[in-house]
Amino acid sequence: MNVQTVIRPALLCLAACLIGAPASAHHSTAMFEWGKEKTLSGTIDKYEWTQPHTFIWVVVPGKDGKVQQWGFEGMSPSWLGRRGWGIHSLTRGDKVKLAYYPLRDGRQGGFYVRITLPDGRTLEALPQRPK
Amino acid sequence: MRARIPIALVAAAIASGTLGACSGAAPDSASTKTTPSETPSKENSPYAQLAKLPDWSGVWEPMRFARPSAGETPPAPPKLTPAYAGQYAAFEEKNKSTPGINFVSEVANCVPPGVPGSMQQPYPIEFLFTPGRVTVLIETYSLIRRIYTDGSPPPAEPDPSYQGTSVGHWEGDTLVVETTGILPETSPLNGINGHSDKLRITERIRLAEPDVLEITTTRDDPAVFVEPYTTTAHYQRHRDWKIMEYVCAQNNRDRLDEHGNPAFSLERKPGE
Repeated sequence: MNVQTVIRPALLCLAACLIGAPASAHHSTAMFEWGKEKTLSGTIDKYEWTQPHTFIWVVVPGKDGKVQQWGFEGMSPSWLGRRGWGIHSLTRGDKVKLAYYPLRDGRQGGFYVRITLPDGRTLEALPQRPK
Repeated sequence: MRARIPIALVAAAIASGTLGACSGAAPDSASTKTTPSETPSKENSPYAQLAKLPDWSGVWEPMRFARPSAGETPPAPPKLTPAYAGQYAAFEEKNKSTPGINFVSEVANCVPPGVPGSMQQPYPIEFLFTPGRVTVLIETYSLIRRIYTDGSPPPAEPDPSYQGTSVGHWEGDTLVVETTGILPETSPLNGINGHSDKLRITERIRLAEPDVLEITTTRDDPAVFVEPYTTTAHYQRHRDWKIMEYVCAQNNRDRLDEHGNPAFSLERKPGE
């Protein structure tokens, strides 16, 4: 990564990219509809506090009664761990509301942006727009 | 009573001369003694000299978005040779059609970026000063750069490597680093994959403000750049941060697929 190639796309796409565009230096973020926020309510199945990305597995009841599984990639412990998150931020069984940027290919997954916990607290998972 | 026994033993050992060597009273110590002019005083020893260097202690986080908005103009696009202009234009075009970070490289497969990309990852770096060397520890991918500042020249034909071979010198409080011998399959700039074995990276590193480190990076490779191309990055100091472990292969679900795009694997192993 370098300043030049980060700035240029940021200027091109303005607001959409300004919120957390550098989600990863590890890979392209073009596979997500970056900035097109959606929400999902479900139950935490597993929180993977791992490099190069954290991962949240969420289960939701499907229309057919079967449990559906969703997978969300997030920022790394390197970023989240310095902003109040930790390995115990999410626990199996927590009923959460999750805001995410969806995968472009339509699979049940995306990049998580924000989590609202059972006690109502909200955890931001991406850099906020400078105020 | 039991506590007194070891003390008594030590006292006996000293009395019998068993510990004499430790106390500097070995019989042959005079023969290895150097003349005062050859003995560096504590004040001008190589380690004491380090105190004259600027204070770069703490951990440095790339500022990225925050900093360029503070009145800086983005640099002009690079002037590229025909061999590389095409892939860069395609990269720029892709950034318009699918906003986001569109670079595709082996880094998604946990192959580390080369210099200069390794200095421009999202997570912090730190600097260690020892006599004759500056060592950069890079959290992302757990990389190490050894910059030799003892005046020794770089090897004439360095084995190509991701971090290359770096020599540096101080110009006042600015560390100037020259790096060559960088693996030709690495990316010298986002949107450009590959370069020649002539790539030379010059970094000028200094404190722009008490807690802001500035790194100006110049890329020189006639095979890629019509003229040397320079960018500037800033880093915020965090004195209370510690570098974290970063093992990319721990849980990488984004290996490149057959089209060269991150796979985003939703596969789970049984019991996972």
